[in-house]
Amino acid sequence: MSAGTVLVVDDEPAIHRFMAPALAANGYEALRADTGAQALALVANRQPDVVILDLGLPDMDGKEVIRRLREWSPVPILVLSARDREVEKIEALDLGADDFINKPFGMGELMARLRAALRHRMQDKGETPVLRLGGVEIDIPRHRVLRGGEEIKLTPKEFELVAFLSRHAGKVLTHRHILRAVWGPAHEHDTQYLRVYVGQLRAKLEADPANPTLIITEPGVGYRAGE
Amino acid sequence: MSGEEAPRADPDALLAAAEREARGKLRIFLGAAPGVGKTYAMLSAARAAQAGGRDVVVGLVETHGRAETEALIAGLELLPRKGMAYRGRLVPEFDLEAALTRRPALLLVDEYAHSNVEGSRHPKRWQDVQDLLAAGIDVWTTLNIQHVESLNDVVQRITGVRVRETVPDAALSKADEIILVDLPSDELLKRLADGKVYVEDTATRAVQSFFKPSNLTALRELALRRVAAQVDSDLVERMQGAAIEGPWAAGERLLVCVGPDMAAERVVREAKRLADLMDAAWFAVTVERPGHVMASLDRQKLDAGLRLAESLGAEVRSLVAADVAAEVLRFARFENVTQIIIGKARRRWPLSALRRPLSDALVRGSAGIAIHVVTAEAGEARAGWRSRLAPAGPLAGYVTAGLGVAAATLLGLVLTRFVALPNVSMLYLLAVLLPALLHGVWPAILASGLSFLAYNFFFIDPVETFTIARPHELLALLVFLIVAVIISAIAGRAREQARLAAQRMRATRRLYDFTRKLAALPDRSSVAEAAVVELHAALGRASVILLAQEGALALTAAWPPEDRLDTASMTAAGWAFDHGEAAGAGTGTLPRAPWLFLPLGGGERGGRIGVVGIEHDGTAPLDTESAGLLGTLAEQTAAALLRTLLSAEVTRVRTAAETERVRNILLASISHDFRTPLASILGAATSLLDYGPGIPEEARHDLLVQMREEAENLDLMVRNLLSMTRLEAGALDMRRDWVDVVELMNRAVATVKKRGATQRFVVTSAPGLPLIEADPSLMDQALGNVVANAVRYAGASARIRLSATVIDGQMVIAVTDDGPGIPAETLPHVFEKFVRAPRGAGDGGDGSGLGLAITRGIVEAHGGSVAARSPAPGQTNGARIALRLPLSPQAATPEDEA
Repeated sequence: MSAGTVLVVDDEPAIHRFMAPALAANGYEALRADTGAQALALVANRQPDVVILDLGLPDMDGKEVIRRLREWSPVPILVLSARDREVEKIEALDLGADDFINKPFGMGELMARLRAALRHRMQDKGETPVLRLGGVEIDIPRHRVLRGGEEIKLTPKEFELVAFLSRHAGKVLTHRHILRAVWGPAHEHDTQYLRVYVGQLRAKLEADPANPTLIITEPGVGYRAGE
Repeated sequence: MSGEEAPRADPDALLAAAEREARGKLRIFLGAAPGVGKTYAMLSAARAAQAGGRDVVVGLVETHGRAETEALIAGLELLPRKGMAYRGRLVPEFDLEAALTRRPALLLVDEYAHSNVEGSRHPKRWQDVQDLLAAGIDVWTTLNIQHVESLNDVVQRITGVRVRETVPDAALSKADEIILVDLPSDELLKRLADGKVYVEDTATRAVQSFFKPSNLTALRELALRRVAAQVDSDLVERMQGAAIEGPWAAGERLLVCVGPDMAAERVVREAKRLADLMDAAWFAVTVERPGHVMASLDRQKLDAGLRLAESLGAEVRSLVAADVAAEVLRFARFENVTQIIIGKARRRWPLSALRRPLSDALVRGSAGIAIHVVTAEAGEARAGWRSRLAPAGPLAGYVTAGLGVAAATLLGLVLTRFVALPNVSMLYLLAVLLPALLHGVWPAILASGLSFLAYNFFFIDPVETFTIARPHELLALLVFLIVAVIISAIAGRAREQARLAAQRMRATRRLYDFTRKLAALPDRSSVAEAAVVELHAALGRASVILLAQEGALALTAAWPPEDRLDTASMTAAGWAFDHGEAAGAGTGTLPRAPWLFLPLGGGERGGRIGVVGIEHDGTAPLDTESAGLLGTLAEQTAAALLRTLLSAEVTRVRTAAETERVRNILLASISHDFRTPLASILGAATSLLDYGPGIPEEARHDLLVQMREEAENLDLMVRNLLSMTRLEAGALDMRRDWVDVVELMNRAVATVKKRGATQRFVVTSAPGLPLIEADPSLMDQALGNVVANAVRYAGASARIRLSATVIDGQMVIAVTDDGPGIPAETLPHVFEKFVRAPRGAGDGGDGSGLGLAITRGIVEAHGGSVAARSPAPGQTNGARIALRLPLSPQAATPEDEA
């Protein structure tokens, strides 16, 4: 039984060469595209469960592929990017990519992200009244947060923030995205709000605030809610 | 050279010929007098040339209404004349710009010696012609022999008519061809009688005296001789160019002594004529006696003589010596001069009578050198005499003299009332000495005279008359007068010499200061700024410097400050720059411009840096002394400017060399540091491939782990190299954001742990630590490198402490370990590129030697600083690396509506 279909879009044959067997070993069916045009065609015809997309393509900008895909497809997109190109990553995420992974990467890390993306796709089914973030339970209608059955007191903004993050668990959210959603468009550049609130949330929710597992920082890009 | 060797062409002669190839050719139709038919001959030849297919244009021809001439012009293209406003009238003038734009193959320009209307590019037409030739246009022109500069005197002597419009001989010798238009005197006179000759003011007596058969014959002879001389020199040049051996002149060298008298110009012209006849090089020399002050009128005459000599092609030298004759002879011997030309001045009363005339002294010492003495003409000497008296001291000197004598008289009268003073005359000597010391000779002589009278009047019996009763008192009075005059002269001269010495010293010091000041300045514009200020101080005139920037001159410095020059000045500056000669006010090019421009540096156009300009103050041109000073200052300025250019070049070369050195180290480092992990990966991979089944499971896993770790090491090195390159190129792309330092430290620890660090880590922070505004991923890298460094060198069991505190308004992030520490000799260099501590107990593998250098680069780019200490403070071992980062004003955090 296939764990899902994964489309790998990259013009480097070497990447396909090691990805294909690794994906197969993990039970995925791997599709291969070398250009943006091929990728768009394959998504339309084969409807993969996840797309792994390299941003540097010979025929069109990877961001353009995301823009076109997002016009009609909600398929999770995992972007491959160089470590020092935050701007590119943020643009890709703002265009609708779900996650990114820095090149070079280890296979284990890639598989973890793939699983998260697939889970997110399954989970993203409208309003769930109670969300889970690790060992923390977030009860939306009652505005309550429980850890190990014990209620944790949160301020309204802290609650809004943790609720928003958990609703998009597994997905990387850019600072701008979070700030717009929680504080409103007027505050979309006030990243220090986020730092402070994330710090407070970690202190209240994380088992070890120094090594957070629930709210993970993606330096220079944004946050990801762990699972 | 041996006699058998084939004669070689003289390179100078070939060069002169080559230069002429590119230039236009100049043909002069030379005549002995007006009316011989020069213009007619020129036009006839031009028609023939046009018929032969040449592009002929008439730039300007004066027909003077003669029908036969006008008929010749018909059919030739005429260049429209330019109307020049002159004294309220519009004068139709030759349009040089139009001619240069039209660029015909051959241009006719009548009357070579013509003076242009004020405001033209050049004051003289022959200068216009030089521009045309330089532009490659062939020019034909006409000239009468009496307009040739060096023949000016001769013509005046022959005809009694002074010709004002002259052409320098050089402008004539530049002609490629001189065509003599000759007409027998009788025929010319007949043409004159028939009214066929146009003369400007026809009816004057001068014209009548000019057109006399004897005059015309003499002028014809002059013209013929001049043309013959030209033919000679052409022939010589051609023979030299073709390397034909021949009996060359032995190389006569002439020297003319120029002094401050009216005869100077005549002597110079005489010398020029001799030099031409002998085809000799010549010097014009003046000798100044030290301590001798020249009256300004004399100075002007001397300058005029020297300028003329220079314009006639002499090499001008100014010498200083007490013994004029000896100095002239010394110079003459040194320069291998064969003949000396000197004017003989009339003797002057009273002092010159005692001195041997210079000519005598020269003749006496001139073994082997011929001396020509040119005698003065009536009028010249007298004019010199008057000028001698002219330089009177300022009025104040005479007032002082009068007052001094009055005071001496008063004092004498008072004193004699109380004591019997045997020698009141001593008081008057004081009255003479005072103005002599303060104001020089002339006021002192006045004081002597006044004293003589006052002494007589007030103190010699009978008192209050100018009569003298006793003969011995008359004698005493006369002795007093003589003593007074001698004292005046000596004291006055002492004063002059002191003044002169002080002036020279000031000038020398000024030059010294100038040079020193300029030498200390680092760049072009500051040198230019300093130079104009100094020039202004030295010459008392506004100064500007224009430097070449990308081929065009730009005003770089001016004092008093000025930010633009008018068009005429810019044109003059451009001309001076292009031609490497002075232009503007007081020169032959664009003299109407309000500035005098001198080129700065280099004989070649490429070697020139710019021009220096001095404002012309209306009437007076620069005197020789100022001109000399300006020349020297300009040279110094050029030297200083060149020096800055060279030092900029040296810096550039040095930087390039340094870059090259760094690149070499980098390459060496890359090849070493990259090979190590690559060797591990390749080794592990091939082991698994080739012997996989034979390797125990555990070892196989270990090989795979090694491969992963080494690949991660490679990745880190690539990142570091990339960052280093960007830091150095200044291309670091900073995206500042609010960063939580505690998070930063935790992440750094997590990263090294993931890579297999076994050390114990402690992260501490002060409570309520503010956020810093920084680029998050750059800060990750900066701190990550420090932590990775500690892991690498501190040893596997070390304790590594990360702490963050705020000290003095700065965020201080410190990484402290308890490993072996950094060797003292490495400590000062840990933040430099490619510096690696020798491997101690560390087991983290070799770094690239870039990590801490990158940390420093990133922290400094954020406005912070880095520091390293070993042993760590409060420990006996280990090291502490601290990063200090400035804190931004903290943005307000939102109030929570809880």
